[in-house]
Amino acid sequence: MSAQRQSSEFWSAAARWATAMSFLPAAFRQASVSCLAVLLLAGPALARDFPPEALPAKPLVLPTPAVRVLPNGLKVVAIERHLLPLLTLRLVVKSGAESDPATLPGTAQLVSALLTEGTPTRSASQIAETIDSIGGLVDTGAGWDESYLSLSVLNDHEELAFDLLSDMAMHSNFAPAEFERKRRQTISGLEVVHDDADYVADAALRRLAFLGTAYGHPEDGTLASVRRMTPEDLRAFYERYYHPSNTVLAIVGDINTAEAFERAEKCFGAWANRAAPVKAAASPEVVSHRILAIDKPDAVQTEIRIGDPGVPRTDPDYLALSIADQILGGPSENRLFKALRSHQGLTYGASSELLSYQTAGVWLVKTFTRTPETLKSVHLALEQIKRMHDHAITAEELQTAQGYLIGHLALDFESSDDVASHTLELLVYNLPLDYWNRFPEKIRALTAEEVWNAAGRRLASENNIIVLVGSLSGFEKDLKKLGAVEFIPLAKVDFASPVPGGSR
Amino acid sequence: MSRKYHKSHAAGSVVLAATLFLLAGICRVAEAVTLPHTTIQTFTLPNGLDACLVEDHQSPVVDVQVWYHVGSKNEVPGRTGFAHLFEHLMFDGTTNVGAEEFSDYVIRSGGIDNAYTTEDTTVFWETTPSSQLPVVLWLEADRMRNLDITESVFNNEREVVEEERRLRFDNPPYGTVVETLYQHAYTVHPYQHMTIGSMHDLDAARIEDIRDFYDTYYVPNNATLVIVGDLDPVEAESMIRKYFGPLDRGARLPSNNIPQEPPQTAKRLVKLDLNVALPAFVEGYHMPADGTPDAYPLRLASNILSEGESSRIYRRLVYDKQIALEAQSTGNFTEDPNLFFVFAVLNQGHAPAEGEAEVEAELARLKTQLVSDAELQKAKNETLRDFILSRQSTQTRGDELGYAAVVLKDPNLVNTELARFLAVTPEDIQRVARQYFVAENMTLVEVHPNNTQGSGPASETGTAGQ
Repeated sequence: MSAQRQSSEFWSAAARWATAMSFLPAAFRQASVSCLAVLLLAGPALARDFPPEALPAKPLVLPTPAVRVLPNGLKVVAIERHLLPLLTLRLVVKSGAESDPATLPGTAQLVSALLTEGTPTRSASQIAETIDSIGGLVDTGAGWDESYLSLSVLNDHEELAFDLLSDMAMHSNFAPAEFERKRRQTISGLEVVHDDADYVADAALRRLAFLGTAYGHPEDGTLASVRRMTPEDLRAFYERYYHPSNTVLAIVGDINTAEAFERAEKCFGAWANRAAPVKAAASPEVVSHRILAIDKPDAVQTEIRIGDPGVPRTDPDYLALSIADQILGGPSENRLFKALRSHQGLTYGASSELLSYQTAGVWLVKTFTRTPETLKSVHLALEQIKRMHDHAITAEELQTAQGYLIGHLALDFESSDDVASHTLELLVYNLPLDYWNRFPEKIRALTAEEVWNAAGRRLASENNIIVLVGSLSGFEKDLKKLGAVEFIPLAKVDFASPVPGGSR
Repeated sequence: MSRKYHKSHAAGSVVLAATLFLLAGICRVAEAVTLPHTTIQTFTLPNGLDACLVEDHQSPVVDVQVWYHVGSKNEVPGRTGFAHLFEHLMFDGTTNVGAEEFSDYVIRSGGIDNAYTTEDTTVFWETTPSSQLPVVLWLEADRMRNLDITESVFNNEREVVEEERRLRFDNPPYGTVVETLYQHAYTVHPYQHMTIGSMHDLDAARIEDIRDFYDTYYVPNNATLVIVGDLDPVEAESMIRKYFGPLDRGARLPSNNIPQEPPQTAKRLVKLDLNVALPAFVEGYHMPADGTPDAYPLRLASNILSEGESSRIYRRLVYDKQIALEAQSTGNFTEDPNLFFVFAVLNQGHAPAEGEAEVEAELARLKTQLVSDAELQKAKNETLRDFILSRQSTQTRGDELGYAAVVLKDPNLVNTELARFLAVTPEDIQRVARQYFVAENMTLVEVHPNNTQGSGPASETGTAGQ
């Protein structure tokens, strides 16, 4: 996209946890009108027009997923959507980068990258040729708590899509030549991103904030770990985690539910089950205060990250914290954005995000600024975190955040891919299938006090982690005012070491 | 790369004949895939505002876009980046809506809003629950004529835009490569500069320039309103007339004397010494504007060269020879003639020249051998898929409709453009390859890693070519 007002990552991060379905209660619209009246009185006495009333809200009808568990344990979800001649299959294995062997970060991701690279009956080239020829779109990847393989096709190639997807999921053969090629590509990719301040800041923050949990390494691995990997390492991961009872399959699009189940049964019925992998136990919250400054002398901007303790995805406080996060750093004119961008022009973007996984969570604040304004920006961001800790949120802030989370649900269920992802998220985290239907009432029921309690408890300056990546000579002296700072040159950063600058 | 690429299009009621090949082991006769026809209602208000409406009730969502026909190609030397800076100012308050309030109105209903500026257009959009339509139309009509900017807000916004420039161009690895390409590929046409503008010109932007720019370009007779989604067309039209009808037509017509780029006659080469890990290169070939007959074979050529892992350039550089981390081709199709790109990031130990030779071999093959019917059909199937995928969200449907109406000047192309792709022959592909993919029409930027951390900003080491 061209010169956008805000980065697309910003919006997609916000959209990820936005959910809900029906529309704003009448009380909300009244409240917003009265708060405008206050603004009008407070402002200069000029004649001012106001927007008209909204139309009556239309109900949002969420798709109802049909679920069937095959005898081998594979859970299949079917959702019919007949508006376009399109079929999307999305297969999710409930293990991702958190299941990487401790010495081999990046394993889950390389495994997923090789799913399209050959089976005993199809070479990598044949798979690519087949998918491209029918105008199919394939995507694979591994994040936290999940690995996925998805395939979208026009609905005249249903049978082929099921056949191909099941072959790749069940019979990937990790041929040495294909492995070597993908590994080399991964290494080149890492070499490039290790010069990117944005990537380095994210990875260093993750290392420190998730230290001691299964989530504290780069999901794409490190140069050392990828160089060490062998096809056998990938096969071991694949055999341990890729099996029916650890997998869910979503079938979304122009297909009847009965036919969807029948095809799933035919293609995946022979997949042999194994014992479910043991998930790591819940990790303790181990965030303790640290400040890390990484020196990149050619940088003209400093990337700033601040990590505070968050919650796992299924924590009872998750929804309350979602509202607080919306107020602190959600889309558009949130508190961080106002303080750093609208009022001071220090940055193009300031946001916050809940990194909430199966057994751990971190509340992340992100921004960046020109080198000389680094300290000022860090202070302003810390000030907003402290404000969230010290003071209750206002009724208006609560209503705006609730209105967004509930109203945005309609925008989140438009494409087949979105429908599949939102439904699979429930299955990955063992959330009830009517979660999105009940989301609006749950969000609406939260009070300002509950939101503040959930947020304030987790924000304290003695346990946040600050990571800065920039040209340190521009602000090094001032930096010491923040407290004890660890300084590291970019070339010495090791994302797998407990001390990212330490030698290993 | 911070430019807007327009790739897929919505489509009309076109049937892709069932000539898809039978793949090994799958002996099923492909059924014809049909796209539903999009019914578009268009009208023009007495003040010159064009409106395009599409009624679509697949979800209770509506997308509103206001397309101003002004972009960075309307900027004059010394004022680069002004169109985009102005886009930012449109969020900074009117006589009725305070500086931080515009997006607040949209957000609190669950909607999202944003804007973008390209070489040709500046687009403001809101995607919201459909009940918000009157609110959003009122907000857009309000800022079309009631903008109210103070000097401090202006200065603040300029700093924000300078941060955006650092974020997208000056700080990331390879961030200035495309900017360098355009600086050398163009000599007089304003596509020579990036939409973001130069830091020097952003520093020089003055608040006095605002009023003139606003009165020239942000007027109903230079705007197109696009609405797609869950709406009642009669009700929507009356709202449009109510909120936009009273706005005054602009007094001055936007000037249209943009200098046209003379044909390039010799290859241009630029070498950059950058603080990056891997060598890279990008080639830019001049090509015709979007919507012209040659644009369609060029788009399909781009698919044949690099869409999917079975495509020619990917196959050769990434898969078979394994000299590149990634390699792609893509056309930056715009209202005036722009560039067709081929670029690659090479693996450690491989020089740009090595990759350039492999690309040259693939382009030569396109010129000397006709592509097979099967390979062309593959490219067309990928195009059909993109048409269908873009139909999935209300917002992307609005994007396609606005682009067709404003840049291609025919909103009904969302129904008819697919046929232009399907009519392309192997001979067409060969003809455009021979015409445009030639050395004297090309500008090449090579990136050589300097491998010394922190040695300072990128520097140009030389410009060659005759």
